[in-house]
Amino acid sequence: MGTPSGLKDDCEALLSRFQEMDSVRFEDFAELWRSMKFGTIFCGRMRNLEKNTFTKEALTLAWRYFLPPYTFQIRVGALYLLYGLYNMQLCQPKQKIRVALKDWDEILKFQQDLINAQHFDAAYIFRKLRLDRAFHFTAMPKLLSYRMKKKMQRAEITEEFKDPNDRVLKLITSDVLEEMMNVHDHYQRMKHVISADKSNPEKSLDLIKDDFFDNIKNIVLEHQQWHKDRKKPPLKLKVKGGEEKSERNSQQSERCERAESLAKIKSKAFSVVAQASKSRRHRQVKVDVSDSESGQVQTKTTRKRKNKETLKPAGKKVSSRDRDDMQNIHMEDKSLNLSMPVVTEEDEENESFSETEFTAPKRRRKQRTKS
Amino acid sequence: MAEDSRGDPACGGMDGRKDPVPSSGGFNFPEYEFPELNTQAFHVAAFGELWRGRLRGEEDLSLKDLPGGREVTDSGCEDAAVARDLGCSLETAAELRAVCGLDKLRCLEEGEDPEVIPENTDLVTLGVRKRLLKHREETLRIDRACRQETFAYEMESHAVGKKPENSADMIEEGELILSVNIFYPVIFHKHREHKPYQTMLVLGSQKLTELRDSICCVSDLQIGGEFSNTPDQAPENISKVRTIIEWSESHDRGYGKFQTAKMEDFTFNDLYIKVGFPYLYCHQGDCEHVVVITDIRLVHHDDCLDKTLYPLIIKKHWLWTRKCFVCKMFTARWVTNNDSFAPQDPCFFCDVCFRMLHYDAEGNKLGEFLAYPYVDPGTFN
Repeated sequence: MGTPSGLKDDCEALLSRFQEMDSVRFEDFAELWRSMKFGTIFCGRMRNLEKNTFTKEALTLAWRYFLPPYTFQIRVGALYLLYGLYNMQLCQPKQKIRVALKDWDEILKFQQDLINAQHFDAAYIFRKLRLDRAFHFTAMPKLLSYRMKKKMQRAEITEEFKDPNDRVLKLITSDVLEEMMNVHDHYQRMKHVISADKSNPEKSLDLIKDDFFDNIKNIVLEHQQWHKDRKKPPLKLKVKGGEEKSERNSQQSERCERAESLAKIKSKAFSVVAQASKSRRHRQVKVDVSDSESGQVQTKTTRKRKNKETLKPAGKKVSSRDRDDMQNIHMEDKSLNLSMPVVTEEDEENESFSETEFTAPKRRRKQRTKS
Repeated sequence: MAEDSRGDPACGGMDGRKDPVPSSGGFNFPEYEFPELNTQAFHVAAFGELWRGRLRGEEDLSLKDLPGGREVTDSGCEDAAVARDLGCSLETAAELRAVCGLDKLRCLEEGEDPEVIPENTDLVTLGVRKRLLKHREETLRIDRACRQETFAYEMESHAVGKKPENSADMIEEGELILSVNIFYPVIFHKHREHKPYQTMLVLGSQKLTELRDSICCVSDLQIGGEFSNTPDQAPENISKVRTIIEWSESHDRGYGKFQTAKMEDFTFNDLYIKVGFPYLYCHQGDCEHVVVITDIRLVHHDDCLDKTLYPLIIKKHWLWTRKCFVCKMFTARWVTNNDSFAPQDPCFFCDVCFRMLHYDAEGNKLGEFLAYPYVDPGTFN
């Protein structure tokens, strides 16, 4: 029997809520457990055989989250979950938790970490499970019967519980970006210096795309955003009034909020957080609405441009899909507007930008669809 | 069944088979050979020792009953133990006892029925179950377990927690329990995808012969011979004919070289096995059973602790028995061919109907037919 339907959803709902609490206290977990009435998961007049199978599956499922590569908090949550499931089960005698030999050493190490970090409640609970003889000490985590399954069901690891393993971000870190940008700056300045016309570099020296650095940054941010979007299904917003103007306004406010949320994401990605005050709101990140994809990030805009942008969707044929996308924007808490950490580069780019307001977005769009 | 028994490096046995995945852990650390399918070979007793070594000194291996009523135990004493194990103060220990108590997990009020699904629940599992219950309520007249389910549950749980009368028959702490699936040799079309099997639990300290003896196979009961003229000479109580061929005979089958080994000389602890890997048990010359060891674990207090009950059968495939063509009530004991009385060929009869139809009051054979004693595969249900 595979994992009973809904069980994975329920466990992950519990664990993700626990993760959001940012705590590893059993007290908090128990509160969550009671509020979700998780103990009732065994209710419903299951007959004996089904009760046994269901409980076994539940314990196996919860056990997976207790082992690496999940984050520390998730693992503690899984321990509490196991404690809850084991003690609230209705089977008589109780179904046990299977531990394979290869995992035991890791578990003991975890237990020691808990004690060292003085997370006594977690350590107490593990100790209690052992004293209650809740474990079966086995060779392998599950029974192996050489079933030639047509579809090999590999256990999927829930991404959001994992420590993020973003190779793109590892490659292009904020340091790398900063350095790239400095080099780019320097290069541009050099071109200016050695050119005859001090304001414009020689055409013959145009060997790279000017916005090369911007593109890389945007691509990385898009990638990051895609990561985030993948994890969290977008919440649906209430449908605002049908009037175009109000729609525009709502789109605008949604975009603002979206922009803020993206800014928050960016700040997490780039460890240096520069909080821009309200006077610098023009540096607020904006969403390029004209694209039909769920979210594109434009890092630099002017206020003028923002207004112009709002007209675009009205002018263009806004497909219903776009509308849906607008409504499906993930709402985050309002956070302060955040700009890119390095200011000088923005000034420069802003200038060039305001000149080519209309054309620039189009160009970007083209480039994006190309890539 | 004798495994290709590798000698310990110390006593210079023969070379083991090459494994596709190099083992990274210790020699007897169970690891996947093919992920999710089977492990590499490891020595059973050595594996047991790896576990026992890690758990020695703790209470994990104990098979004794827990001190009755944990609430009754002196909480002060318990707190001291907690404080000692976790390296915290006595006050913290007392606090932990309160904070982590089971009462903190209770989700139902005092009078609430634990079987009733609460009304406004967010749990997806319960939503699914509710719909299922509703569907059952609407479509079933009587909602109860069918025979097969009751049978399966009984098999699974009939020996759980059993203690031996004689304390000498008590399983030792640290004993290993192997879970073995033995597939039936019966070949029906409907079993194409999922071959029926029975599951037995066997102790590490038990000899291979003990498992062999406990396997009930109809091929053991087959009686050759045509008995239409002398129906009374077909043995009434068919006892098992034990002509178990030594494993060495399989040399002719082209399975490769295997060492001849006497099954009664080896216990399961002595074997090198791959968990999840299909092995072959051959008996009666040509009756083959596929055998898979699905699990090995340390014995637990809640297991059946009576040695004499092992090998213990915990799962059996329910086979529908062929019933007599006439009365449709009793299991068939005879099968006939070229039978002038029978509407089909072959035709199955129970003993009573067979005699009534084919013989007169004096026992003289009537008509033409060939009759063979029949042992239904479902005989062992």
